Order: sequence, then C-alpha cells, then structure tokens
Amino acid sequence: MTEHDLAIAVGKYGLEIGTPGIKSVGPLAFGPEGILFVGDNVGAAIFAIDVGDSDLADQQQEINVENLAIPLASYLGCSREDILIRDMAVHPSSQNVYLAVMRGRGDAAVPVLIRVVKDGSISEVSLEDVPFSQSLIEDAAPEDDPRVVSRDQLRTVTVTDMCYVDGLLLVAGTSNEEFSSTLRRIPFPFNGSTLTNSLEIFHVSHGRYETAAPIRTFVPYANNTSLLASYTCTPVVQFSLNDLKAGTHLMGKTVAELGAHNRPLDIVSYVTGGEEYLLIANANHPLTKIACKDIDQQGPLTVPDRSLDDDRSGPISPLSGPPRQELPHPGVRRLANLNGSQVLMLHEEEAGEIHLRSYDTATL
Amino acid sequence: MTRVRRLELTWSEHQGRSCLRVRGWSQTEFSELGRLPPAELAGRLVFLPSEVLEAGFDLAVVPPIAGRWEVDQDSICFVPRFPFLEGLGCSLLVYSTAQVTGVDSPEVWTIQRPASQATATTEVVAIYPSGDQLPVNQLKLYVHFSSPMSEGWVARAIQVRRADNDQPLEGVFLAMEPELWDPERRRLTLLLDPGRIKRGLAPHQETGYPLIEGVPVIVTIAPDFRDATGQPLRTGAERRYQIGPPLRVRVSPAKWRYHPPAAGSMDPLTVEFDRPLDHALLQHSLWVNDASGLPLAGRGSVHAGERCWRFRPELPWAEGQHQVVVDHRLEDLAGNSLTRVFDRDLMKVEDAPADAGRFAIDFTCALPSTPPAMLLRGKLKS
Repeated sequence: MTEHDLAIAVGKYGLEIGTPGIKSVGPLAFGPEGILFVGDNVGAAIFAIDVGDSDLADQQQEINVENLAIPLASYLGCSREDILIRDMAVHPSSQNVYLAVMRGRGDAAVPVLIRVVKDGSISEVSLEDVPFSQSLIEDAAPEDDPRVVSRDQLRTVTVTDMCYVDGLLLVAGTSNEEFSSTLRRIPFPFNGSTLTNSLEIFHVSHGRYETAAPIRTFVPYANNTSLLASYTCTPVVQFSLNDLKAGTHLMGKTVAELGAHNRPLDIVSYVTGGEEYLLIANANHPLTKIACKDIDQQGPLTVPDRSLDDDRSGPISPLSGPPRQELPHPGVRRLANLNGSQVLMLHEEEAGEIHLRSYDTATL
Repeated sequence: MTRVRRLELTWSEHQGRSCLRVRGWSQTEFSELGRLPPAELAGRLVFLPSEVLEAGFDLAVVPPIAGRWEVDQDSICFVPRFPFLEGLGCSLLVYSTAQVTGVDSPEVWTIQRPASQATATTEVVAIYPSGDQLPVNQLKLYVHFSSPMSEGWVARAIQVRRADNDQPLEGVFLAMEPELWDPERRRLTLLLDPGRIKRGLAPHQETGYPLIEGVPVIVTIAPDFRDATGQPLRTGAERRYQIGPPLRVRVSPAKWRYHPPAAGSMDPLTVEFDRPLDHALLQHSLWVNDASGLPLAGRGSVHAGERCWRFRPELPWAEGQHQVVVDHRLEDLAGNSLTRVFDRDLMKVEDAPADAGRFAIDFTCALPSTPPAMLLRGKLKS
C-alpha cells in the first residue's frame, strides 16, 4: 500500500489536506469509501479521515494475532499497562484492522491510530497532511435556549459509539451532567460544525416505567432499517431507523435485559445460513447471541417473564426477552464484522494479554 | 566486528528532540554503520522496552520502538516517534550482521529512563452533594480535584462502604469507559448504577438499589488516584452520607422560596429550594433577567448543601420587575428534572411529563420603604 495513492478526491466529502488536531482517540467507525470517523472526547470533536488504505482482501480472509499487547507495547515504546485500546474497526475493503489506542497516561497520553494487517504487523496511521474534516461535539443547547450568561466549560458529552448509515453519522454519547438520552445525527459530509438536533430516546421497562437513558453501544441491522441499542442500564432496545430519521422523540422497544453488574461493550451483526444474528459483548456476562428474527417477533417486554426462573418466588431472572445463546468466547471487548464470513473479536485476558481472533460466522 | 569495546548509552537530544545517544563504537563499525541505508541500520540496531525482551517473545515478530536512527559526529542517535516515558527500562540489541533471527545473537545493552521526581501535591477539593443526606435513588456524585487527573483510576481508588460495619458496598457505581470528566480533567462525574436505581429493570430486581435506605455510607477517594503527572494524591478524602427514602417528584420552582433584594442595593437575590439540587447543573441552570427580559450581569453561587442559590448583580438592583429563569433540565439528586420524574411510573397521572420550555418566576425589587412584592407567574412558553 502506498499512502493515499487512491485517496478520495479532496473535496468530494468536504475533506481538506492537513493535520487533524486529535487530542484523544475513542470510538471508531468507517464511512463511505473507507473514510474513518474518529471520536475525540478530549477535543470534543469527531474527525473524518481518509486513511489512504488501498489494500485489497478476499471475502474469506482471517486475521489472527495472539498476544498483540507485546508488539504494540514495543512499537509504542511503553509497558503494556500504558496501552489503552479504546475501539476497533475494520476497513471495509482492505479488511485491515484499525485500533484507537491511547499510549501513556495523564499528561503523557498520546493518541495513536494503529493499523494491523493480515500478517499481524502493526503500523501507525499517519495523521500528517491527510485529507480530513471535523465536526464539533458540543453539548448543544436548544436553539431557543436564551441562556447567555453561564456557558461554563465543565459540560461535556462523552461519545460512546458511532455508526455511519446512509449519509448520517449516528453518535451515542453520555453527558457528564444530565442523565438524558440523545442520539446525535450528523449529516456527512460534515456541514460546517453544525450538529443536527439530537434525538430524545426513551425506553419502557415491563410496560410500566419510562426513562431516558444514554445509549452505550448500538448497531444497525436488517439492511439499515433497524437499530439495536444497548443502554448503560443494560436493556436491549430496538428502534426503527425510519422513525429515527423522522423523529425528535422516540420510544424504543425494550426486547431484552442483560442483567445486573453488567455493561454492554459492543454489538455486531452478521448473516449466516440466510439468517441475521447479533452478538453482544458484555463486561461481566458471556458473549450473547440473538437472532434478529427473534427480536423482530419479540413484543416489548411488558411483564417480567418468570418462565425461565428456577425459583419463581425469588428474584426475577434477567433472562426475559427473545431466546439467546451464550457463547464460550472469554473476555471479548470489541467486535467487528470482518468480511461477512468472519467476525473479528478483540479478546482481553486478565493478565493484560490482548488477542485478535477471527471466527467463521457458521461456527458462532 | 569487534565486541571488545563498551558502548555508552545516554539520554540526550538530537536536533532539539529527545533521543538515545550511543557512543563507544570502534572506528570500523562506526564507519560501517554510518554507511548503511536507514532500513539496514534499523536491522542492526534494535531498541526495545526491556519488558518485551524479558517476556521471551519471538523477536522476529516484535517491532522495535517506533523511531529513526541518525548518525551524528561520534555517536548514533535513536529519535523516538513517541516521547520516552518516565521510568521505562529499555534494551538496545546490536547485531553484527544484517539481522537473521537464530543466526546472530545480538549484544544487549540496557538503560533506564529516569523516574519522575515530582511530589504529590494534588488533593480532592470537594465532593458533591455537599449535604449529609442522599435519597436511596441518588444518581450522581461529583468529585473535584485541585489539578488535572489521569483516567482509569476510578474503579481502583473510589469506594463506598457502610458506615455501620465498615463493609464495602459492591457495584455502586456504573463503570464508565471512558470515564466522565470535564475538559480540564478536574471534575469527575460518578453515576450510581442506573440499572439498579430504575424500578422494573432486572438489575434492580436482582440486587436492589446501590445504596440501602437507613444505612449510612462513607465515600472514600484513596490517595492512589493518580493526577495527570502520574503522582498520587497528597492525601485521600471521604464524605459520609445518611441514606433517606427514594425521591420521585418533579422539581417545581413554584415550591421554592424567593427573597428579593431591595432596589438600589447590591444585596443578593436568594432562592431557597425545597430539596437539594444537582450541583453541576445549578452552575448554569438558573439566571436572572431584567425588566426587558435580558440576562442581568452578575454572578450566581450555590450554598447550603445545594439547597440555596444566590445571585449578586454587578450593578445595584433597579426598581421594578425581574425574573428568575430556570432551565427545565435542572435535576435534583435523583435525576428528577422540571419536566420528568427519573423513572416515571406510567400509572401515576401526577408523574406525567411537563412540557419543556422556560420556567420563569417574576419578582419585584422595591425601594426599602416598600415591602417587596412577589408574584409567581409560573411557566412561560418560549
């Protein structure tokens, strides 16, 4: 690969040559023609970068790298404890793996984008003189908000996940002040630095309690007609993307709960045997597999389902909702659909070891 | 190539950038290395974190530290792509021929990057809420530090334990990744696990509220918490709270008490709330408009365990009508705002959401001889 030999025509997506002033790297997502979106939570911005990756790959390609932390620490000149992998994304055509890495801590922390290719070799994605554009993630006050006296600098929105769907970059974020749910929809190419109005999203638990809560991670499925999102408080909620595009207030259908002491980390969709499935990686619970058709057939959770509880007088089991399968893949932190036939998982073991492993979708 | 010589490794500078400088080469090898193209030179000299070498990893698949080698007058310098980290142990491998794993055993020279000599100066400035009681469905805590902090220490350094038996309470906070900091990394937002607070959700059904009504708790911030320079805190901090019943009522400015100042004075306007409100949101959710509806220059401040707000104007109060304007997003300690109860019971009509908009309360500044008149005008549609 040569840098930017097939770079997207400058200007096509409003990109300009320069050096993006990225202060931190967070969520990653690929957009049209291999443009990489990088969430920068310290700089309160999202960057769209042409990474100039013109490698080609076949549709069966696997990538497997054991003990990635050691070569990564060596390359970055630090100890393994000084590496924080914030996100992973797969380039749609080259199938090279991109990692958002913070190297070092505190003032010494340096944001780095790492590219891992099929043979496991790693390199830094150059951010000097590359085509890019950016959009600010302001905690946008409503346009009719008359406040002008105290625009303090303490408020932030921490971006937790991003996804590009049909000309829109969907951005889930958590405010460090209000516990509200907003899903930002940013048209791409970025239109200056103006954000669209954010979308309020609510969910109802068991037909009785309604709350707005931040979405932690989400994935489109069913040809981008539906969105499956997981909240910080663990319900798995389904939205219609058509409603999402039209609305400013949306009620999602809570289709499952993942239980206590758990956090959703990542969701991916894949197709095998003509059926679409979703995998949900969790902080404390096993990797969870749900068939999309079961989600679509599942009505909203209205009453606690006690059918699976061993002790029906005890606490309600979290296993309500569509059938799901727990997969024996330990320590999965990030997921990506590598090429349709393989799902890539980033495993992290307690000892700090990190592995990239590909799994044939037929085996999941 | 002779190995009967001693290489000298020092931390130095090369063209204004921090580098590793290697001296002590024999004249023969120095001139040979100096003639090599960069790629070959990088094959002969490999600089790695010692930790990688000690891990016994196959060096054929481990890349060296990113950077470039430069031949100087009497030395060879390694200029790293990323700044050297304090305290890092490094190893220089010197191959006598082009590197072929298993054929040529390299010389190994080591050097340690000096550790930081800084002392701990950072401390916890405040923990909010600053009152002594929390509702059992408390949603957030804020910790303010005197200096910018490092991320990644919350789970290790912040603990909640029962004040009655000193036992830790597990799973109180939602583990956020990334953590919720302000742009300066001085204020940390801690969310109590919302899945355990919301009625009806499985985490609440399984394990109940993160806190226990009637059981006092102590929140501790251990000195292990690292600031942005990597130093621990000068000292730890803690705050004790009583835990009261759950709070699920919308915030209502109509229930607040207003103490308007006299016209011509510089006295503050004082607003007393019916319950403690969220400290962070209070910083920008209240303000005062003058008679023409424009924001009045002045400064708001929060007092009395977030139960009171005062506004001190820059100029003496004008006689006549003013307004306290309230952002509908202002929340109490349990996340109830002016428009919504945090987790709304759909069966309770009184918890139905109110329309978002501006909430404004009129008040009149009268001359000292006239009793101040208060007029509650309620919500104004924007």
